[in-house]
Amino acid sequence: MQPGGLPKLSLPHMKNIVAVASGKGGVGKSTVASNLALSLCGMGFKVGLLDADIYGPSIPLMMGIQGQVDQATTPLPLDRYGIKLMSMGFLVPPEKAVIWRGPMIHRALTQFLSDMAWGDLDYMVVDLPPGTGDAQLTLTQSVPLTAAVVVTTPQEVSLIDARKGLEMFREVRVPVLGIIENMSYFVGEDGKRYEIFGHGGGQKLAKATGVPFLGAIPIDPLVVQAGDNGMPMVISHPESATAGAFRDLGKVVVKNLALAPSEAPLPGLS
Amino acid sequence: MAVGRAKRLRTFDFSMNDILPTKLQKDSGLIRIQWSDGHESVLPYKNLRNACPCAGCKEEAQKPLNPFRILKTNELAPLEVSRLDPVGRYAYRITWADGHDTGIFRLDYLRSLCQCGSCQPGKPG
Repeated sequence: MQPGGLPKLSLPHMKNIVAVASGKGGVGKSTVASNLALSLCGMGFKVGLLDADIYGPSIPLMMGIQGQVDQATTPLPLDRYGIKLMSMGFLVPPEKAVIWRGPMIHRALTQFLSDMAWGDLDYMVVDLPPGTGDAQLTLTQSVPLTAAVVVTTPQEVSLIDARKGLEMFREVRVPVLGIIENMSYFVGEDGKRYEIFGHGGGQKLAKATGVPFLGAIPIDPLVVQAGDNGMPMVISHPESATAGAFRDLGKVVVKNLALAPSEAPLPGLS
Repeated sequence: MAVGRAKRLRTFDFSMNDILPTKLQKDSGLIRIQWSDGHESVLPYKNLRNACPCAGCKEEAQKPLNPFRILKTNELAPLEVSRLDPVGRYAYRITWADGHDTGIFRLDYLRSLCQCGSCQPGKPG
């Protein structure tokens, strides 16, 4: 620990830092984060995407970057599809596990944010790992986080953990822009809507916690394909309803952030 | 103006109804915090140190009192707050003169520790 406590990062070149979080893993945070970042980019903003999942980075695959990046020839953060990109996955071979304790996670994340040439960004989207652990603490204690969005799926087992994520942001006084329900429903070939994981869980959670409901993203096999092929839906299938849902999410995030009051940092000792 | 203990400090909406510190000062042996609702909290060092929420202090507090415990050198010096640093937008970290700095005091917790007359009825203000 450094004397005097945690260092507070000053990141004036990042106008808005938005965390994409969830309590539970596997709900589609990285899918939402990458498509949200690309949607914001499509609106003309300068955007960065930071993969804060040090143990299980999935942004490199989803953004079509395989394997380690040779920093001698390729400067980090990378430019991809018009956005700046950084992930632990660029620094270690995909088959190698990162086995680190909390302080190392803290150091890596603060270095990713402060020691890299991000340039001026309108939005920095941070794809958080699941849970309420070290990465979340680093971001809420040392980074001027503007707001967070919470991703859930409709079933109870996801909602329980999403609620914990919401509670964490409440405790650390980070505004939550809203809840996104991913894998919300599936439209079959017969045109009927099937709610495979249940109905309205995200909306119920939003109502119960007083958080805006930002929208529902359908289950779409193309999302899986797009992620595995390294071209998120917003750019690989821009005409699809799912890409439209992500673009709507981008618009809501911009609108809600504009409504959020900017808050001065806490005062120090006089 | 003393208005008692803090209400819930934050909701999920963007209303600015939070009660936030506006000024923090060291006084002789205590910290004074002025809050946005007008209340001034009085936090004697001894109370703050005894209420340190860090894992080490919590564990120590749960142990039975040992009257024969040998004090460490730094425990013999008078308590003094060296630094009071904001942590995010929700807490303060206190660094004590003896080097102890692992306690992160959330705003609502700090407010609940106020020892003024209205927050601690029966005690002199």
